[in-house]
Amino acid sequence: MVSARRNPNKIREGSIIVDIILYAIAFIICLITLYPFYFVIIMSISSPQEVAAMNVFWYPKGFNLGSYELIVKDAKMWWAYSNTLIYVSAGTLLNCLMAVLGAYPLTVRNLKGRKWVVAYLLIPMYIGGGLIPSYLLVNKLGLYNTMFAVIIPGMVSIWNIILVRTFFTTIPDGLKESAFIDGASHLQLLFKIIIPISKPILAVIAIYSIVGIWNSWFDALVYLPNEKLHPLQMYLYRVVVQQSVDLKMLSLDDAKNAVATMLSNIQLKYAIIVFTTLPVIFTYPFFQKYFIKGALLGSLKE
Amino acid sequence: MKVISQPGKRRSFHLRDHVQLYLIMLPVLVHLFIFSYIPMYGIVIAFQDYYPGKPFLSFTDANWVGLKHFINFFNGPYFGRLMRNTFLLSFYFLVFGFWVPIVFSLLLNELKHGVFKKFVQTASYLPHFISNVVVAGMVLSFINVDGIINVIIQMFGGTPIALNTEPAYFPAIYTITSIWKSFGWSSILYLAAMSSVDPNLYEAAKMDGANRFKQMLHISLPSIRPTIFILLIFAIGSLLSANSEFILLIYNPMVYETADVIGTYLYRDGLLGGNFSMGTAVGLFISLINFTLLYVANSLSRKYSDYALW
Repeated sequence: MVSARRNPNKIREGSIIVDIILYAIAFIICLITLYPFYFVIIMSISSPQEVAAMNVFWYPKGFNLGSYELIVKDAKMWWAYSNTLIYVSAGTLLNCLMAVLGAYPLTVRNLKGRKWVVAYLLIPMYIGGGLIPSYLLVNKLGLYNTMFAVIIPGMVSIWNIILVRTFFTTIPDGLKESAFIDGASHLQLLFKIIIPISKPILAVIAIYSIVGIWNSWFDALVYLPNEKLHPLQMYLYRVVVQQSVDLKMLSLDDAKNAVATMLSNIQLKYAIIVFTTLPVIFTYPFFQKYFIKGALLGSLKE
Repeated sequence: MKVISQPGKRRSFHLRDHVQLYLIMLPVLVHLFIFSYIPMYGIVIAFQDYYPGKPFLSFTDANWVGLKHFINFFNGPYFGRLMRNTFLLSFYFLVFGFWVPIVFSLLLNELKHGVFKKFVQTASYLPHFISNVVVAGMVLSFINVDGIINVIIQMFGGTPIALNTEPAYFPAIYTITSIWKSFGWSSILYLAAMSSVDPNLYEAAKMDGANRFKQMLHISLPSIRPTIFILLIFAIGSLLSANSEFILLIYNPMVYETADVIGTYLYRDGLLGGNFSMGTAVGLFISLINFTLLYVANSLSRKYSDYALW
C-alpha cells in the first residue's frame, strides 16, 4: 500500500489558506477527543480545594496525590485488579488456543464434511439465544458466581477463527507436506510448525482479547454477585456509577483530617478513572498497529 | 527442512487424518454446541411459562403458552416508550453520527503525511479503546449539576441545568458521547479505502483543472462509496439495537422516559425481575425485527446500488 505511493504530499498541494483551515479543524477535533482525558487527569492531581470549587480547566492547580493514596490503600481495588489479571490472561490464552484449534482443520481442503463444519461455525454469528437463555444455561452448568462464568462462555470467537484461518491459508503447502513426509501428525504440525510462524495473527487476536476483557464489565454484572470475584471495571462501576463504595471510610486519618479526606473524596472518581485506564492508554500507542491490522483484516471477509 | 512440495506426489488422505482433524476441532465444536446452540434452543422458553428451577431443556413438563408473552409485551404499559426510545436513540446516532467518520476521513486525507496527521489519527482512535464504564464515569461527572458543563454554562451567565435528571437532554448526551467514542475508529475503513487510490488520478485531475475540493468530491469520495454503503446497511440493520450496555451505565430512573430501551428493560425486568420467559420473548422479537431490517436494507442496496452484504 505504501510502496505504490509517489510522494503524495507533492501531488495534493493546494492553497495555503485551505491548508491552514484544514489543520485548524483537525486540531479542534483532536482537542475534543483528548480534552476530556486531560481534564480528568488534571482534576485527579490538583489540590482538593480547587477541584471542589471547579477551578481547574487548563492546567493542574496545586498538587495533591491524596486520592491516589486512598485508592492504593484500598484492598478491594487490588482484589479487583488481580481478578482482572486472571481474567485477561486466562481469557486471552484460551481465545488464542481455541482460534488455532478451530482454524487449522478448516484449512485442510479434503476434510470430510468441511462444508457442514463451516455452516455449524457460521450460524451462531447470525442467530443467538440472547441474554436470558445464556444466563439460565450458565446457572444450570453451575458456573454462576464462579470465575469460570466470565472466562468460559467467551473463549471461542468465530471472528478470530476466521482471521486465523485466513492467515493459515497463506502458509505454503510445501511446508506442511514436508512435515508430513517427516512423519508428523496434524497436531505436531500445528504446534511445532504452524503456530510458531503465525505470531503476527496471534498477536492481533491476543491484543483484541486483552483490551476486550480488560474493558468488559457486563458479564460480571450479570454472572458475578460476589464482589470478591469482580474485575476492575466492576469495581470502577461501583465507585463511579453506583457510588456504592465509600472510600472515605478507608482513610485511617483522625478527625482533624476529616475535612481534607472529604474534599479528596470528590477527587476520587477522577483518580480512579485515571488509575484503571492508564494501562490501556500507555500500551495503546504500541499496540495500535495491531488494532488497525485486525480491523482491516476483519473487513476483508465481508 | 528443504523439501519442496511435489504436486504429483500429494500424500493421500486416510481416515486417521479425519479423526485427528476432528479431534483438534472438538473443543471448539463442543463449546459452540454448549454455549451457542443450547441457548438458541433455549428460545423455546419464550413460548412457555418458565420459572427458575424448571429444566428448560425439557419439552414434557413445559407449560406451553403460545404467544402470551409477546402479546403481553405489546399490550404492556411500556411497549410504546421502549420502541420509541430504542428507535430514536439509534436513529439520532445514524443521522448525526454516520457522516462524521466520512467527513473526518476526507479531512485527514487532505492533510500532509507527517507527525501531526499520525497524531490526530491516533488520538481519534483512543476513545474506542476506553471502557464503557470509564466513559460513563466521565460523562456522569461532566453532566452533574456541579460538573464542568454547568460550570461553563454559568461562566456565560446561564443557569445550571439538571442534565442528568431531565429526560429531554438524555438523547443528546447519549448521541454526542456515542459519536465521540466511535467516529475515529469508524474512519479506519474509509481511510484504508482512500489510501489505495492511485495518486496518478489526483495528478490527472489537477491537470484538468480540478481544485482540491473537486478532487475530493470526484476521486476520494467515490473511492469509499462501497464502504459507505456497506456500513450504512449495517447501521440500518441495527436501528433497533441501541447500545444498551452503555445506556445501562449512564441512565437513571428519572430519565427512563427517554432513556429506557428494550435492552435495558430486558435486563431490568427480564433478568433482575426474574421474568425469564417474557425477557426471552422480547429478545427474540427484537432480533427478528433487526434481521428483517438488515435484510430489507441489503435488498434495497443491491437493487439500487450494486453493493450488498450477500
